[in-house]
Amino acid sequence: MTTTTKAAAGTGTTAATGSPTTTGIAAGNGNGNGPGTAGATAAAAGPGTTAVPGTGNGTANGPTTGLPGTFGTEAAAGTAAATRTPAAAGTEATDPLRELRRLRRDGLLAAQWPRVPALLAELTDAGDREPEAVAGDLTRAGRVLAALDPDEVLTRHPGTPLVTVAVTGHSSTARLGDPLTAELARHGLLARTVTGDHGAWLRDLHDADGELRRCRPDLTLCLLDAGAVMDALPVPWTWQDVEAGLARLLERLTAAADAHAADAAGTLVLNTLVLPRTVLQQLVGRHERALLGAVWREFNARLLRLTADRPALAVVDLDPLVAEGGPATDPRLALYARAAYGEQLLAAYAREAAHVLRARHGLTRKCLVLDLDNTLWAGVLGDDGPEGITAAPGTLAGEPYAALQRTVRQLASQGVLLAVSSKNDEDAVRPVLRGHPDMQLREDDFAQVHAHWEPKDGSLRAIAAGLGIATDALVFADDSPAERALVRSRVPEAAVVPLGTEPALHVARLLADGWFDTPRVTGDDRARTERYRQAAARAGLERGSGSYEEYLHDLGVRLTLGRPRPHEAERIAQLSLRTNQFNLTGERLGADGVRAAAADPAGLVLAVHVADRFGDSGLAGAVLARYADDALHVDNFWLSCRVFARGVEQGVLAVLLAHAAERGLPAVVGRYRPTARNGRAAGFYPSAGFTPVAAAAGADGALCFRHDLAGLPAAPAHLTIDSDLGGDDEPARTNR
Amino acid sequence: MSLLERTADLLGFLDLIRDELGLDLSVQEAEADLDALPAWDSVHLLRLVMLIEQETGRRIPVASVLQARSIAQIHAHVVASAGGGPR
Repeated sequence: MTTTTKAAAGTGTTAATGSPTTTGIAAGNGNGNGPGTAGATAAAAGPGTTAVPGTGNGTANGPTTGLPGTFGTEAAAGTAAATRTPAAAGTEATDPLRELRRLRRDGLLAAQWPRVPALLAELTDAGDREPEAVAGDLTRAGRVLAALDPDEVLTRHPGTPLVTVAVTGHSSTARLGDPLTAELARHGLLARTVTGDHGAWLRDLHDADGELRRCRPDLTLCLLDAGAVMDALPVPWTWQDVEAGLARLLERLTAAADAHAADAAGTLVLNTLVLPRTVLQQLVGRHERALLGAVWREFNARLLRLTADRPALAVVDLDPLVAEGGPATDPRLALYARAAYGEQLLAAYAREAAHVLRARHGLTRKCLVLDLDNTLWAGVLGDDGPEGITAAPGTLAGEPYAALQRTVRQLASQGVLLAVSSKNDEDAVRPVLRGHPDMQLREDDFAQVHAHWEPKDGSLRAIAAGLGIATDALVFADDSPAERALVRSRVPEAAVVPLGTEPALHVARLLADGWFDTPRVTGDDRARTERYRQAAARAGLERGSGSYEEYLHDLGVRLTLGRPRPHEAERIAQLSLRTNQFNLTGERLGADGVRAAAADPAGLVLAVHVADRFGDSGLAGAVLARYADDALHVDNFWLSCRVFARGVEQGVLAVLLAHAAERGLPAVVGRYRPTARNGRAAGFYPSAGFTPVAAAAGADGALCFRHDLAGLPAAPAHLTIDSDLGGDDEPARTNR
Repeated sequence: MSLLERTADLLGFLDLIRDELGLDLSVQEAEADLDALPAWDSVHLLRLVMLIEQETGRRIPVASVLQARSIAQIHAHVVASAGGGPR
């Protein structure tokens, strides 16, 4: 235990109860509430030990329960501590690993599964522990969790998001299950793991009727090691033999990736091969050794390039993981247990794999919320004043903070929104953000700045609301264990980055999890911060306008609807991944799917561009529809939350209805499938004059709504619409 | 109490196996032939060995431990080569 929190007010009596919230996969983290958390933990610890609230205790309640005001400010927490039982630091009472083991021993693990993500968040919230030690504990936690039958959890908590992971590889993959189970559980995902026979990866990936492909995995991991090429070579071998072996291996992997993609069976994860020194040094010629190194890296480079045109393929680059995490292998594991990789590397790989899955399911986080004092600069602004803080590059005290600021800028340039949540006076913070010479991040780089003395959970909610995103899209980085514990406890769906007392480690901590990983960065990502600034300007106009209608009129919203241009397929795919609230079916569409639908004569894909007087929101909506004799079927409609409440969806629908009428079709049928996140769109079709189609709910829970085109609705008057839907019944017209 | 002290007797060793490997074994099972324990494999053994090595900083010769036919024998080997001794 390395609990170092100052806010050690005892909350050992807080018995959190509440119905576990189970959500669809889009909802991300499960809420970690459940009966008997803090109190039970403290009780289990025996006499003389006290629960330390700074570690959260997995009491993941809503804002109305839990730790009343304990963390308001550090000072307040100190006062509270004086009147309650002081915490005994370093007790094992709240050790989350111990708690998980206790739950298993007592047979309570399945019943208390909703607490697991919070317990793991507590376990990983250890800014001053060695990452290897944390990873080791996480693997141990995974061992506890992996022993649990997922069906037992599903029986008790039917809504728990379940992912099926197929694991195969050249060597034994037995030890990957534990860290993988833990990493997925951190994201609230229950894992069902199907393991192939080791050495049979080629058959596992190709055989459509085999055990692995039959289970329709969300994620297929094929863990390869040097043995995949070396085991097939004769002894003695030359570097040319290795080169030929690598070429054969690449051919097989390419074919396997293509077979996998053709089957539409989730994402396939391959990995680069680590070159073991025990292979390299078997060549005594320096020249030959250099060539072996070169052909090995050429293989890895080609493998990485396979992802360029294969969206269902991800390749985890093991080199950076080995560089950071030490030895890739343990000779005894390799020779006695046919396990190619050591525990640390498997843990790092499992983390990457879980983030591949997150990104593919649209669970990419969107906003990084940063503390200021001792996070973005050294010192405490309120105590030391602007002259007393530093983030000056090249100085002993400042360089670690300058490095963090550079890293944050780099993230921001690719679409990660930035926000500040700091216990400070706003009047002191603003001038620093505007003009302090050390700052590489400026006021304009932050979409929201919350500098005040209110609890930070409120800031996080306000930031999310201000940006129109959910709190589960936030990542919170702070050097104070107490603030992090508060956020873990009150906003458990936000991710927490544990910055420790050593600022030189801040960058590594920030990047330890791929919270912002996305399949591919588009131009739209790069322009995101600018758009959110425009949104702030719109909010200013709204405050200054009389009525909302006047505001919309003043805004001058322009819609451009048309068939997507070739480069827009990626953007539409990304929109379908990132959009949860106005995603009428919850379904996602890959770039290949967009191209296929657009090329289909009976298909209609529409790209919706939105602009107004403050700027261009870009491709902010998309429609996927089909022409049939009975109707124009709108299979899905995605609209980015950044253009909500401007009549865009009504405008698009008016165009679709007019288009169907123009084509002489009898109706438009819209499809809506409720998900955990798209409830706000439930009334969309009925409000536009559509009527429910009786008994049309499909096996997937989709509802259908029909508009008979008898009276066509006009588009909202404040919109200027430029549409060109083209289509092959209008050969005379060109849509170029 | 160090790991070595905790695992000096067989019950402590079984606690370690339960916590680290997720296997609940009785003393009876620990004394039975490994063939009677389908859940046990060499990966489990290596995990244990490495854990104890990390704790003690001393290498345990795996090849000899691999000869053991029961958990109790493994325990005796491990404790002897890690520097302690069964009580």
